Amino acid sequence: MYMDTEDSEQLLEEVGRFARERIAGMAARPESPINTDQLTLLTREACELGILPLTTADDGFSIWEHNDVAQAMSFNTGALRHIAYASPGVAFAWHRLALARFVAVQQGLALEQKDLLGMQLVPTGHYGLGRNSLAKWLKAEALSAEDKDMLSDWLDRGVNATTIYAPKDWKSLVWPIWSDDHIAWRHVERKELEVSSGNAQHGFDELAGFAVRQTSIAGKTIKPEPDASRSTYARLLKMDMLGLLSIGAGALDRGRALARDYAGIRKQGGKLIAEHPAVQHMLSDIEITRHNVDMALAAFARPVDELDVGAVAATRASMSPALCHAANQVMQVHGGIGYMRDAGPEKLLRDQNMLKLMSGGTREIHAFLAGWTGAPA
Amino acid sequence: MNKQIHLEGHLPVDHRLSPHWQFSNLPLIGRVLANYPVNDLWETDFARLPRALAKQRRRARTFAEQYLMPAADELDLAVHLPAGECHPTAHRILCEAGKQGWLSYFMPAPLGSMPWGTVLHAPIWQCSLIVEEFSRACGGLMLLLSAHHLGAMPLILSGRVNNMLRYLAPVYRSCERGEPHLIAFAITEPGAGSDVEEGHGAEVYRPGVVATPTEGGYLLNGRKCFISGGDLSKTATVFAALQGEGMDSWTCFYVDCSDPGYKVARTELKMGMRASGAAEIELTDVFVPSDRIIGGLRNGWALNRATLNASRIPVASMGVGFARAATETAVEFARRYKVGGKELIHYQDVQLHLATMVAETRAIRSLVWQEAKAAWQPRQLNASLCKFHATDRAQRVCEMAMDLLADHGGKHENKLEKIFRDVRLTRIFEGTNQINRLTMVEDWQAQLLDFDHSVGV
Repeated sequence: MYMDTEDSEQLLEEVGRFARERIAGMAARPESPINTDQLTLLTREACELGILPLTTADDGFSIWEHNDVAQAMSFNTGALRHIAYASPGVAFAWHRLALARFVAVQQGLALEQKDLLGMQLVPTGHYGLGRNSLAKWLKAEALSAEDKDMLSDWLDRGVNATTIYAPKDWKSLVWPIWSDDHIAWRHVERKELEVSSGNAQHGFDELAGFAVRQTSIAGKTIKPEPDASRSTYARLLKMDMLGLLSIGAGALDRGRALARDYAGIRKQGGKLIAEHPAVQHMLSDIEITRHNVDMALAAFARPVDELDVGAVAATRASMSPALCHAANQVMQVHGGIGYMRDAGPEKLLRDQNMLKLMSGGTREIHAFLAGWTGAPA
Repeated sequence: MNKQIHLEGHLPVDHRLSPHWQFSNLPLIGRVLANYPVNDLWETDFARLPRALAKQRRRARTFAEQYLMPAADELDLAVHLPAGECHPTAHRILCEAGKQGWLSYFMPAPLGSMPWGTVLHAPIWQCSLIVEEFSRACGGLMLLLSAHHLGAMPLILSGRVNNMLRYLAPVYRSCERGEPHLIAFAITEPGAGSDVEEGHGAEVYRPGVVATPTEGGYLLNGRKCFISGGDLSKTATVFAALQGEGMDSWTCFYVDCSDPGYKVARTELKMGMRASGAAEIELTDVFVPSDRIIGGLRNGWALNRATLNASRIPVASMGVGFARAATETAVEFARRYKVGGKELIHYQDVQLHLATMVAETRAIRSLVWQEAKAAWQPRQLNASLCKFHATDRAQRVCEMAMDLLADHGGKHENKLEKIFRDVRLTRIFEGTNQINRLTMVEDWQAQLLDFDHSVGV
């Protein structure tokens, strides 16, 4: 579908308005996060506006529906950024919902709205990024027995529980499994899974944490051709990492606004704290991170197939800690009040930490890059 | 059999090229100079402590593991209670802590519970050891038990034996009977956030609490905020400016929290350390008799700064406790969680990650011990440096632990997310780490501005 820059900007304006008027209102009190009913309501409204997809058959401009032109990519990341400004947790939920739809479409799953809205995506394995082996498979490199064992274990859904963060009432999930030396997909109903709820997790207060295991043979398994399997997974990985980065950017924008506002009213030592070099330094840290994340997202505003998965992963590895650092500086600018749950910065920091930990985290990206660039493992 | 022979990538200890086991076969002098016991790291440091302090450290660990650790989750996840209400579990722990002497250890018997053997060492050192053990078990409960010592500190630092006998001794005795009497330290003023000493340096200081002379004493009016333990305390050392005067008139008043006009307005919804309340206090014509002025009129500022100099090293030790808890949690995860058919600990990159965490943790412990050991008269420069550096690095260790657990790092059940929320406060309270960097430099000026001599570091 054709989309030019003007279309993209208009659509983003709509998303921005919706985020400001609907999501931000419900998320105004950080100590009282958006609850399941409110999230359901917002999700339906977002579907009606076309921000989220209605079914797998629709053809529109919802998030991650298109990834083949630069403007669509700008819209995808820009929309998530707007939503994250209001609520990173909601943005994360919708990012994963939109990607679940992407996988469903790619794998030929026909889903109606009620099925789609209850579906969760698990993009990665039970821990990390499959060390070197996933990257080798993505490159279509010959896999050693060790690589195959690694990927088989990584995507084993029975032995190790997979951690997911999702709306409490999710109904099914789609996750990658290892089958015949390639990634296949399985769509499983929640009732067919072993699911245990966790206590309150670190961030994403709007969502709940679950440990999920599949101990019985159930669900629908789709085995794409090897090349299609690789290309779909590479696209998914890139979009997932870019989405997480965009949500981090939105949370940063919000934190930046909070820090600047506070520094402009709070006095210390007889003058505004914004006039103290110690505070200026922290505000500048936030600016530097914002500049860098802007640059990164702009660089990746290209058709997804033109993006190098190693470059996206490397950017995630460097930007995620920087975004967390900036969130820490937002809290630090606020001092004691920033530590309190009703102020805002602490929730942004927890959400930023969560983003860093998602999809295998960032620590194993080094091993992934070693596999991707062909460096000795 | 639960002991593996060696980690992948490393030689077994009995391999010919792994010489440690052969050290014991060297001739006497060689053995003396080269052979070493392969002890647990905690035990290694334990053996380096003076005996009395080592004993306290082990006692603290036992108490923390027996009482604090099992209650940590319950209190962290508990519903926020109305100001002044104490969670039954917290109350039970306070009673037991009092009986075991953890609320009275800044003075030896008969006044307090400090073992006589530790009297020879700086009390801050003992306190730092205890705080590390308690922090490792639960940040909130550690603060609940430790903020009390902060509140008591002006009574000690005032240097008046009378204050200690008249005010501190009954507090300590009550605690030791199992009837906890907590003292709060009330300095932070409304509007503050990045510095406990907001008014310092202001051209126009608007005091948060004003003391107005009246017959037989003073009437206190105003507010204090972010007072750790202020919701449960029975007494408080409250710092107030004298009516019509500036910050240099700050005076420390020992206030009975049950007196008319004293009100806990609210407790904060904190990110972490939730077992301990941070209270906002309202004082409305609270009468304080003149004999409850601690350290004399207009000496409050000095008492406040001396108290902070004494407390910032233990705050640094909180960082050590949190870094240690995070490292231990990460090590346990790496020893047990399998990826690709083997435990994470066998992967070289995981070993590098853990090695860095252990080194960071032990480096800040060394810093804390070095400063605490010499802290008979804790210097502002050393205390502030120790606080900001140890807590900054401690948070980094906690982040590394979460990174190691990746997707699992955000789960409450895996402990790290709470440790992160707890450690985060140490970079803010007792002056943000930015403020602490400046107070360090403030106290360094004599050397920095002396151009007749080079500056030693």
